[in-house]
Amino acid sequence: MTVTLTVDGKALQAEAGSNLLEVCLENGITVPNLCHLPGLEPPPAACRLCFVELEGIDAPVTSCTVPVSDGMVVHTDTDRVRRLQRSALRFLLSVHDVDCKNCHANHHCALQDLARFLKVGLKPRGLSIILKEPEVDDDHPFIRHYPNRCVLCERCLRTCHDRHGHSPLALSGRGFDTVIRCFADTPEDAQPCQSCAACVDVCPVGALVLKTG
Amino acid sequence: MDPNETPQCRRNLEALQAKAAEKRREKEAAPVPVIHIGSATCGIAAGALDTRQAFQEALAERGIEARIHTVGCVGHCYAEPVVIIDHPDSGFPPIFYHEVTPGKARMLVKLFLEQGDPRFEHIYGATIENDMIPWVQEFPRFSMEHRLVMDRCGRIDPEDIFEYLDDGGYAALAAALETEPSDIVAEIGAAGLRGRGGAGFPTAKKWSFAAATDGEKFVICNADEGDPGAYMDRTILESNPHQVLEGLAICAYAVGASRAMVYVRAEYPLAVRIVTRAIEQARSEGILGESVLGSGFRLDMEVFQGSGAFVCGEETALIRSMEGFRGMPVHRPPYPVEAGLFGRPTVINNVKTLASVPPILENGAEAYRSVGTADSPGTAIFSVVGDVVHPGLVEIPMGTTLRTLIYDVCGGIAKKKSFRAVQIGGPSGGCLPESFLDTPIDFDSLIEAGAMMGSGGMVVMSEDSCVVNVCRYFLEFTQKESCGRCTFCRIGTRHMLEILNRLTCGEAVEEDLERLENLAHDIREGSLCGLGKTAPNPVLTSLRYFREEYEAHVREGRCPGMMCRPLIAYYIELDKCARGCDACVGCCPTDAVFTTSTRKKGIDLELCVKCGECMVACPPEYDAVRKISPAHLAPVVERSPKRDKEAKDKA
Amino acid sequence: MEEKLTPEESAILEELRQSIRGDDSQRSRLIPILQKVQERLGYLPPEAVKMVADHLAVPLSEVYSVATFYNQFRFHPPGKYPIKVCMGTACHVRGGEIILENFERKLEIKEGETTEDREFSIERVACVGCCALAPVALVGETVHGHMAPSKVEGLFTRIQVQKEIEEKRRKKDGSE
Repeated sequence: MTVTLTVDGKALQAEAGSNLLEVCLENGITVPNLCHLPGLEPPPAACRLCFVELEGIDAPVTSCTVPVSDGMVVHTDTDRVRRLQRSALRFLLSVHDVDCKNCHANHHCALQDLARFLKVGLKPRGLSIILKEPEVDDDHPFIRHYPNRCVLCERCLRTCHDRHGHSPLALSGRGFDTVIRCFADTPEDAQPCQSCAACVDVCPVGALVLKTG
Repeated sequence: MDPNETPQCRRNLEALQAKAAEKRREKEAAPVPVIHIGSATCGIAAGALDTRQAFQEALAERGIEARIHTVGCVGHCYAEPVVIIDHPDSGFPPIFYHEVTPGKARMLVKLFLEQGDPRFEHIYGATIENDMIPWVQEFPRFSMEHRLVMDRCGRIDPEDIFEYLDDGGYAALAAALETEPSDIVAEIGAAGLRGRGGAGFPTAKKWSFAAATDGEKFVICNADEGDPGAYMDRTILESNPHQVLEGLAICAYAVGASRAMVYVRAEYPLAVRIVTRAIEQARSEGILGESVLGSGFRLDMEVFQGSGAFVCGEETALIRSMEGFRGMPVHRPPYPVEAGLFGRPTVINNVKTLASVPPILENGAEAYRSVGTADSPGTAIFSVVGDVVHPGLVEIPMGTTLRTLIYDVCGGIAKKKSFRAVQIGGPSGGCLPESFLDTPIDFDSLIEAGAMMGSGGMVVMSEDSCVVNVCRYFLEFTQKESCGRCTFCRIGTRHMLEILNRLTCGEAVEEDLERLENLAHDIREGSLCGLGKTAPNPVLTSLRYFREEYEAHVREGRCPGMMCRPLIAYYIELDKCARGCDACVGCCPTDAVFTTSTRKKGIDLELCVKCGECMVACPPEYDAVRKISPAHLAPVVERSPKRDKEAKDKA
Repeated sequence: MEEKLTPEESAILEELRQSIRGDDSQRSRLIPILQKVQERLGYLPPEAVKMVADHLAVPLSEVYSVATFYNQFRFHPPGKYPIKVCMGTACHVRGGEIILENFERKLEIKEGETTEDREFSIERVACVGCCALAPVALVGETVHGHMAPSKVEGLFTRIQVQKEIEEKRRKKDGSE
């Protein structure tokens, strides 16, 4: 069933129950996001960037978890929404090793795009920078991981699980110390990675790099 | 259900009750004194097992016949180990003794059991009304409590299902099995029971959602008590597990589930053991299994041990962990009542909620509503810790004011200090000042005040405690326990902690307070699950009500409660210090206390770790050790070079 | 630091291997089986994690992912005398932190670590439920209430004395 909703004053048509974030993006409305992957449901709602305000609901909600319904009125550019988005981005930057010129994702990095869109500096003012040890995880034979670039969007994990049913990538630890670890049980297990590398492609920030040579 | 089959439940229950009465008569056949010993985790920690052994040995030595009865916990932590001696031949009523050490136990065997002298100086009270010994119900700690959920705690042996049956247990289940499930849900709804896990969601609503679904369903008892200062769920499971199982069984029947789980933290080994045993007993007596009490309703029950993650108290995280994954919350909806464990509708209720169910069905919704307030009927259980005279577990009617709870039930602030703050609801709760003491305790009033019922942890702080420090403690806890999934909770709480660390070290700057407040607001609004959304509560409420304390830390480097160690210093008042007394020197773990040229004592502030041991050790007649904040106000006492050299030579 | 399994540990692991064979191999059994392993071994050595992964046919990375999430699981052997300092709310207010520091200073290890001779380990634990006795520390399963820095010293002296008595008894038994 097709329904009509209003986003930032624009009337949009969409399938009832479809994902609000996707509907916005398809219609050219920019809603910041990192952890969303089209077609891979349910969303982890982890990055907390895709906030929008819905009329009738008093607090901003993450659009990736909202199914579209008829008559829905959405605002993507309110002070409250922007404040939360900037706050989330600043948090991500406060644990990010901002060394763009030495990063292979330079010029196509989601964090750079977000910072530009939300008008946030790459060095978050007022927050201390907290980086993790070690800087590089080299355990996997073909993939190198930089924990201080990672935004923990889980896109790599979910893509890998979706393709292969299981993954040599996994979250390890808890809370602030959570990191993606890439370890393969045996070298044979890691073999498919060499030809797949889908995880590297979906990483929004260059935290995963294919080892060369 | 076949109407001819229904009386079967009651008949089966009556048969079990008869068996229970028979067992009781057997036990009571020999008219010997009975010694009831509280042996839940808290009692054992206080030495109940040693006390028990002392009783056994003393009884054997003296050849006295008496029966030792292991019971759960009565909740009077300040009085542990608690022993009740029922010695009818002595002419005295059953007597409640507190802090019964092994020595006291031996003395009581000799003097009371053998010679009939109950030793008035050691008596706490009598458990029944009489004209010889004050009845415990005359004390506010007892009379102001209203025991509904914890009524049987400390009275019955938790490991003996027949004691529960003999006390009227499982009657509510038997009656429920003869009732339409929808009527049970309606009765719970009429009673207005709200979830005791913290948020206060109407229990009947949850049940009716699940009841309306088809197919396989699950019911789970959430005993993943994670608040570092709350332990009522453990106490209930350890003291009266069957009441919880009965509530869980009724819940399963009401929503149409055939599998039930009790999710208990693995850190509670005694509770795990007792619940496991209780389930086995219930199964072997036909109360669980293929046909519950012969009703034809099938119910399996098992224990799942939680592995120690505070966030697993959150429903969706709890489910993930039971499925064998990392306990990370997922976005709701879908709610567990729609898609929970293994994707099936799942009802998750707290221990206290479930334990409230049998009394409601037994006495009716009306009776339940007669206790508490209109919107929060029933009782509230708090574990009150901190600077009160009588800490422990208290069960009070909802609507009781904080003042009554702290000053009357718990005996007021210890050591005649003055009240500073009360922190309610643990890591998700808030910190309230004196002006809120007349707030009634119920779900809505507490939320209005900025706190919440939460887990029921309550910390009472006297003037000697620092609000900032306690908030830092809670935030450090939630920060450690964050699952790490969402940005706000994972990174935001860490930044809050950094600021709080600076505050308690005296390194914060003026702007930090505003930053802290902004961070707190954003985290509350932006986090994915309840843990993150409520994590800033202690800080937000204390910033609102105790801002001057934060400011004292920032502007003066002063900790008003003198708890933040970097901001305090210890020194010795030379006028008061006695020559030749070495009490403080002997106890100092870092040799920071030295002897001055006048043979008095001084503290080397460089070596001092501010443990306060010297202050405790200093004999009260001298009372020479002082604590001061900010630290730079402490007078400097020079070490005597000569004496130092002597000491070195000696070494 | 990779520790080798002691012969005793290897024997227990072999026993465990036999016993979990009969266990269900559903994913939801992962945490209960890890608990079972840790209960016997005191920690989860790499060999045991591999065994569990094989039994459940789950990638090793997944097992580690789950195990590292929960406080209960440890990957290094605990000391012979595990010291647990209660960090519950009441203990915190009464100076639990100071007690922890005293143990750390005395043993020259940090919380979560084990001394090199594997005699002692220090852990912080959530409320052990004797708030009236705060601050509280546990050595093994024994609770010590109203802890103070001087009591920390006393505890070690007591353990030392106990050890010496045991030593003597063992020598005596040996000579007989």
